[in-house]
Amino acid sequence: MQTTRREFLRTALGASTMLAFSPVAPGFLGRTALAAAAQSQDRDSVLVVIQLSGGNDGLNTVVPYEDDAYHRNRPTLRLTAERVLKLESGLGLHPEMTALLRLYREGHLAIVQGVGYPDSNRDHEAAMRDWHTARPGETLTQTGWLGRAIDRACKTGQTDVPGVFLGPIPSPFGLQTEEAIVPAIKSSDQWLPAGEWAAASRLDPPGSTAGAPAGANPLPEFLRRATLDASAGAARLQAVRQGAAARGTDGYPDFPLARTLQSVAQFIRADLGIRIFFAELGGGGIGGFDTHAGQAANHGALLRELSESVAAFLEGLRRDRLLDRVWLMTFSEFGRTLSENGRHGTDHGAASPVFLAGGGLKGGLVGPHPSLTDLEANAPKFHTDFRRVYATVLDRWLGFDSLQVLGRKFSPLDLAV
Amino acid sequence: MQEPAQIGSRKARPEDLDDPSWAWAPYRPDGQRPWSLELAAHLYRRGAFGANWGELEHALADGPELAVSKLLRPKADVAPFNRAYDAYEKAAAGSADGVPAWWLRRLLETPHPVLEQMTLFWHNHFAITNARVKNPAMMCRYLQLLRRNALGRFDALLESVLDEPAVLICLGARANRKARPCLDGARALMEQWTLGPGRFSEPDVQGAARAWTGWFVSQDEAHYIPREHDSGAKKLLGREGDFDRKDLLRLLLEQPATAQLLVRKLYRWFVSETVSPPDALVAPLAADFAKDFDLARLLETVLRSNLFFCGYRQKIKSPVQFAVGLVRALEGTVGTVRLASDLADLGQDLFQPPTLKGWAGGQCWINRFMLPGRAKLAEELLAGSGPYGAKLDPAATASKYGQSAPGAARRFLVQLFFQGDLPEETRQALLNGGSASDSLRGFGGLLAALPEWHLA
Repeated sequence: MQTTRREFLRTALGASTMLAFSPVAPGFLGRTALAAAAQSQDRDSVLVVIQLSGGNDGLNTVVPYEDDAYHRNRPTLRLTAERVLKLESGLGLHPEMTALLRLYREGHLAIVQGVGYPDSNRDHEAAMRDWHTARPGETLTQTGWLGRAIDRACKTGQTDVPGVFLGPIPSPFGLQTEEAIVPAIKSSDQWLPAGEWAAASRLDPPGSTAGAPAGANPLPEFLRRATLDASAGAARLQAVRQGAAARGTDGYPDFPLARTLQSVAQFIRADLGIRIFFAELGGGGIGGFDTHAGQAANHGALLRELSESVAAFLEGLRRDRLLDRVWLMTFSEFGRTLSENGRHGTDHGAASPVFLAGGGLKGGLVGPHPSLTDLEANAPKFHTDFRRVYATVLDRWLGFDSLQVLGRKFSPLDLAV
Repeated sequence: MQEPAQIGSRKARPEDLDDPSWAWAPYRPDGQRPWSLELAAHLYRRGAFGANWGELEHALADGPELAVSKLLRPKADVAPFNRAYDAYEKAAAGSADGVPAWWLRRLLETPHPVLEQMTLFWHNHFAITNARVKNPAMMCRYLQLLRRNALGRFDALLESVLDEPAVLICLGARANRKARPCLDGARALMEQWTLGPGRFSEPDVQGAARAWTGWFVSQDEAHYIPREHDSGAKKLLGREGDFDRKDLLRLLLEQPATAQLLVRKLYRWFVSETVSPPDALVAPLAADFAKDFDLARLLETVLRSNLFFCGYRQKIKSPVQFAVGLVRALEGTVGTVRLASDLADLGQDLFQPPTLKGWAGGQCWINRFMLPGRAKLAEELLAGSGPYGAKLDPAATASKYGQSAPGAARRFLVQLFFQGDLPEETRQALLNGGSASDSLRGFGGLLAALPEWHLA
């Protein structure tokens, strides 16, 4: 089990950090930590979730370019055989996604087709809530699926945060916990005090509790240890950032999502114990993927941002020998209708594809493309429940128990190497 | 300086702590357990949101009996203050950030902080959220109800909480129809607000939901519509009858579990988070409370008790306590719209507790991000410029008490924040220029980042 290995490492490293950290300056902390992080390929697995807000048009993302029904129903929006980036079985990626095509050919991209759920909702807020709670239609559900996973991964007396949100919008409901506090990271220095905070752990370090009577108050020592852990972690993050600053853009393109993923890579390298990262593309609320009119240009630009950002992220992970620790997963609240709506756009639909990218993953197409003749109110039907994808990342990748998180058993997909 | 290990409880014999007649008896200082600045600060951290230097000195001179009386029944004219703030709050209820900002302003300025502690306790108990209600004016009304009843009688509070439209909406109980009793609402009422988990069965939930039928929210008010009430016989907690909502509440209050749940929650809030009290300690206090559900008497017993003063530093400050305590200690003021949003980032979004269980609190407040986050907030509060303005100034506070010289001002702040109760090496390092900063603002930020400052 991954958790056990992590705990072993934590104990081993924790003992040495206690000795090394308390009397010394942050610069040294950083170097020690970087040396440790360099040997960390066999650490915990990490999941990065990217929400595509607004309802992504799956049919123009993974294009059935040989299907007559597709061309008939999309007189202006259709992408022809000459333009798409061909995969196999008559399917091709949107022409803006050349970077994802490269990942696909290298075996680092899996495309799960026809993902959705029974009686799926076509209202943005309600459908998004269904994906966030993983309990469709249960409007009184108080926690998100990732929030439940995070609560279960928290251990009393430890200060690791198993999940974070990165982005300028309010934290999505999927991360809603009952107990743990999930940080929302809006800017890169938001959680780093400039002043003398680091001195606090030196002035008041964890002390020996040997002489304390049984049943004595454990809280002062808990806080001393937490302060030391937190300042050591912050020092590691600073060191990673300084290293990254020296490398300039580091191969990341100039997109907001790329910058967010660059931060994610830095957090992973700083080894802060974060297992789940949540980011967003499309602007939150009723997002940019809601292409009711003039779809072609907007949709293409978003898919380009997604594709180039994800590829740069994976490339950076590969350089840092972290690729085998990370899976990235996209989702959107629904797909869109097969036929155009007369305004060069498409309306709310049902099933759409989910991308999974990373190392330790079986690349390729998963499941058939949904039929374009057997529709549900003008949209492709699902054949793979989204909670099977969740179960896959929970059970097969993070090593969490999906039954506890999802409340029901969903059979995972065969995606892990 | 007193040995840290001697403060409050430590000279009490362990067997005393489990003896209810000693534990709940009023604390009387003696040679073994003297009244001290540390215990005065403890009283103010729990009963208020921390003390300023003047309050600490008065409390020390007054002794515990008078100090507790002054907290519970302040001489200041509280009613006009709260009336004015009720009006400000209402006027700001058009926007979602106005209501929490006004509550924080009230926490900073109130002459009756124990009332706000209890209001926050009830917000955490009846933990409904504007994320579901989506109506700041209703949330404002709900909170004002909690405040009016915070030190009144629990039976009256419970009944009026169920009349609040915000509460019904949050429970998904907007329409308690005869044909569709609201099981979720009944379950929350029994599990979170009265009996506690494991003290009732699923048929009890159904009986309770049926007894509750007939209650609706329309035009922002709760109404009872008799024809929607299920007047059939119901089974509820071993009884059977044509129960309505009034009967339901009576039956819930009759169960000893209800008073016990409240005593346990109050213990965790005011006395200690590190141990859960044995039944033998809870039972006598709960039995006394159940006679008339008088909250003021219950709180007074707790705050005066030996046990309360044994809970020294056995609690972690919530983000609200962390920030409000800092500002109140320094007798300054800060902008509260920004503060509400920063506190939300630190995990305490007022009017939006995470679930019906309220904030988990305790060690859950603290993680790898929240500690630097708190330090950053303290740094910004004390910066003297920027989002929080210039009205919080440790140098001004120190010179108000005649401590203007740099060394004296530092000693003063250490006394104000910790009453000197820090590990000796830490205290020496702080006072002998262990900090690189020359400014008292930076020094204040450092003090607020020390592990002990997070303890209530």
